[in-house]
Amino acid sequence: MTKMISRRDFLKLGAATAGVLAIGRMLPPKVAQAARAAGQINADGDGYVHSMCEMCVWRCGLIAKVKDGRVVKLDGNPEHPHSRGNLCPRGQSGLMNTYDPDRVLSPLVRVGKRGEGLFRKASWEEALDIVASNMLKIKEKYGAEAMVFSSTHNLSQVQFENLLYAFGSPNYGTQRSLCFNAMITAFSLTYGVEEPSRKYDDVEFILMVGRNLMEAISTSETSELAHAIDRGAKLVYLDPRYTKTASKATEWIPIRPGTDSAFLLAMINVIVSDELADCEFVKQYVVGCDGIQAEMQKYTTEWAAKITGVPAETIERIAREYAAAKHNALAHPGWRTSNFINSFQTERAIATLNAISGNVLTPGGCLSADVAAEGAGLGVPPQPPYPRVSALRLDGTPWKYPLVPLKLGVFQELRDAIITGQPYQAHGWFISRQNPILSLPDRARTLEAFSKMDFITTVDIIMNDTAWFSDVVLPEASYLERYDPLLPVDGKVFIRQPVVDPQGEAKSALWIYKQLGERLGLADYFQYEDEEDYIRQQLKPLGVSLEEVKEKGYAEMAEEEKGNEITFNTPSGKIEVYSETLKNAGFSPWPTWEEPPIPKEAEFYLLTGKVAQHTQFGTQNNQLLHKYSDEPRLWMNTKTAVKMGLEDGDWVEITSQVGTAHSLLLATEAIRPDCVYLTPGYGHLSKGLKTAFGVGASDSALHVTYTDPISGGQALSQTFVTVKKA
Amino acid sequence: MTDIKHHAYLFDATRCIDCRACMVACSVENNIDMDKTRIWVAGIGVKGEYPDLQRGTMVYHCMHCEHPDCMSACPVGAYTKAEDGPVTYNPDLCIGCRYCMNACPFGVPHFDYDKGIIDGAFIDKCTFCPQRIYNGQEPACVQTCPTDALEYGERDELIKIAHDRIAEHPDRYIDHVYGEFENGGTSYLILSHIPFSELGLPNLPETPVNEVSEKVMEMTIPFALGWGTVLSGVAVGVGLYNKKKEEKTAVEEKAEASK
Repeated sequence: MTKMISRRDFLKLGAATAGVLAIGRMLPPKVAQAARAAGQINADGDGYVHSMCEMCVWRCGLIAKVKDGRVVKLDGNPEHPHSRGNLCPRGQSGLMNTYDPDRVLSPLVRVGKRGEGLFRKASWEEALDIVASNMLKIKEKYGAEAMVFSSTHNLSQVQFENLLYAFGSPNYGTQRSLCFNAMITAFSLTYGVEEPSRKYDDVEFILMVGRNLMEAISTSETSELAHAIDRGAKLVYLDPRYTKTASKATEWIPIRPGTDSAFLLAMINVIVSDELADCEFVKQYVVGCDGIQAEMQKYTTEWAAKITGVPAETIERIAREYAAAKHNALAHPGWRTSNFINSFQTERAIATLNAISGNVLTPGGCLSADVAAEGAGLGVPPQPPYPRVSALRLDGTPWKYPLVPLKLGVFQELRDAIITGQPYQAHGWFISRQNPILSLPDRARTLEAFSKMDFITTVDIIMNDTAWFSDVVLPEASYLERYDPLLPVDGKVFIRQPVVDPQGEAKSALWIYKQLGERLGLADYFQYEDEEDYIRQQLKPLGVSLEEVKEKGYAEMAEEEKGNEITFNTPSGKIEVYSETLKNAGFSPWPTWEEPPIPKEAEFYLLTGKVAQHTQFGTQNNQLLHKYSDEPRLWMNTKTAVKMGLEDGDWVEITSQVGTAHSLLLATEAIRPDCVYLTPGYGHLSKGLKTAFGVGASDSALHVTYTDPISGGQALSQTFVTVKKA
Repeated sequence: MTDIKHHAYLFDATRCIDCRACMVACSVENNIDMDKTRIWVAGIGVKGEYPDLQRGTMVYHCMHCEHPDCMSACPVGAYTKAEDGPVTYNPDLCIGCRYCMNACPFGVPHFDYDKGIIDGAFIDKCTFCPQRIYNGQEPACVQTCPTDALEYGERDELIKIAHDRIAEHPDRYIDHVYGEFENGGTSYLILSHIPFSELGLPNLPETPVNEVSEKVMEMTIPFALGWGTVLSGVAVGVGLYNKKKEEKTAVEEKAEASK
């Protein structure tokens, strides 16, 4: 390591620069005033402000350099455990998200037909009145449940949920069934932990099942993995594509899509039948150690070889290597685990592998840290209890999907219920920071669901595709322009604060939800004056002032007392490799093999994945990321392309059961011959996105809706397509 | 502010994940136009036949040579090699002749066709982020690198780190630190698992190219003078010979005539 500059130097520099005062110009605006009062910027509007990134959900700490009241550079905050001084390309490009020329900077009300893109500007007063009156109309006529609310994984989500629960609707659409339902459901059932932590400090053997950490970057974790590899840890990586992670792996296994669980079950069989597991740990903490040997017996390596295409000896060897690394083996839980309807079983098998290696509680292994609930120890504004909701959830949770956690839901099922009108018809949709038109599978169906709506409102910073099809668009301040509720990470609580003033009329989500709440007669649920007051109330139990947090970027939280006794948040208090809960719901209590469908002749698996320069469906319009990302193309194996008479750079037509898309072809050796791949997030419909419109093909236009009955996860790799020259 | 006497970079191709955070960071830090870049990625992309594949990328920017060819080629002295490492370019002096572009063995300086003589700054290249390194920060590309593929520090120390790393993992690296001696040494040092030529790096001798060319150039005047002297001597000699011959002929003719 050659970090010649200490973090202290860097911070000293920030303080020194901020301390310089120049002769003031005009009276600085509100944010600048506050920042100046906090000693972060000088009278010229120059200085450094601590805040938090929002280019993905990893939420790195950042230090923004401000000059003349504009953000000119973002650096990773060395004191933040998620950034440690680094930012990924998306984080680096964050200021282009704020200065995107396509920002929506005043409330807009639709004047043309839906999807025509004709809007007029409106005042906040008018726009909020329109939204509130339409929501109240729907509530009065059809009941609160006829309003659907959807928003995903942002720091103001807590107040979004507050709005929805206070309004009284059970219909909450998160994006999670398109992402990590399989992982969360499987680990919740097995360990009572939603997202298992990963620690790489002492790891010697890492097994990754499609976790493309070198492209789907989580800054600190990517860094930890890189350093573990550098140190000599072995990485075995399963993926049908030769991703950038595959290129860093000790061993890349281009396994047949949908067969990961066969591979893993055979590994478990080798480990338990040869008694290579950490028996002491297993006996003490694991439910199912008695029956596992007999249960796994059928999953021989020869059996798995036939299914996965991976030689039996390879599976056997990897199982033994994994077991030999004992506590320092890690089977990575993955992230977007919505691949096949059997992805839940894949996750259960991964959970089991970690349990039997005994790595669960050691510093080197899975699940070693924080089980504490997010936000514990922080204050909350007072509010009355929520109204009782008796209507069924449209997404089938829990009446159709008994094991899907309520806060995850089944988004694609919600969309389908809007179309069928079963069990009742929804009439309005309030969407915040989400782009379901592109994110949900089967775009045509999502547009059909939109057409069923009497009223649609979208909150976003740009005219995303969903906003383009909405009736009212409410402009949110970007993450560099607003406050969000505090975020606890590793014993500290971090702040997102405005680095610059919001442009135009843009407002924070905290402000928008409160304004709307007041107009809906729900003012009691929003008992905060403004964003700063909200955060002051959060900070109250810590005895720390907002000013202090603004200056440092964080506050220390009181250490939680940890008991010596280890229990898991499951019905038995142990790790449930064998799960009664699953059995009672009518599913296999053991991790098990579920045969996925396979493509017919001339069909390909349609894979999706990630590139380091983009996040989901929201960053393609960022000019800096557009500049530095590869042109999105359909990947096809070179030899397959030759066989089909296709050449690199050809225009091709991709057809699935539900749609067609056009793309340029990338002939590459880096993919299995029976697969094609598209980077998601392209093929935007909104002409309000001048950089992204007309670029690439939409995978959502092709994806067929398949839902895993256990986790509710959408099977995103289970769509098969044909390809021909366009 | 900093005790670095000789600033240098160390790039480790085995660590680079081609995420391009460095490129974005550089673009923002240095306010680079949307259609331009000071950093680019070279390398082999994906090489081999499925499933035996290899990937290798290199973050390419100015090598900040110890003996910069751009500087010796520049007729107006627009380039300077700072004692502490950075090779800098002064747009106010540049006349846009593009000699530096031809001279640089790494193809680094880029011509900005959008700018005219009035705007100046015909050439663009990495500056080593003086606004950061002289203020106690790492260059923008280094600071943000999530895998520490790019590092920054004292040149001697980085060379030592590079050799230590090779010694620790001899199976992983090619046993060579590119830039330690190439072209007389550079301030951008490179470790790699694939041949350096495949990363797009030229095979250069240890003697700097410009040392040869400068020697030749230095010889111009002495050579011209010396050759002039020789030629003059020859001319004088020939003249004398001819004169003598003429005299001789005249004498002979005289003698002939007197016969």
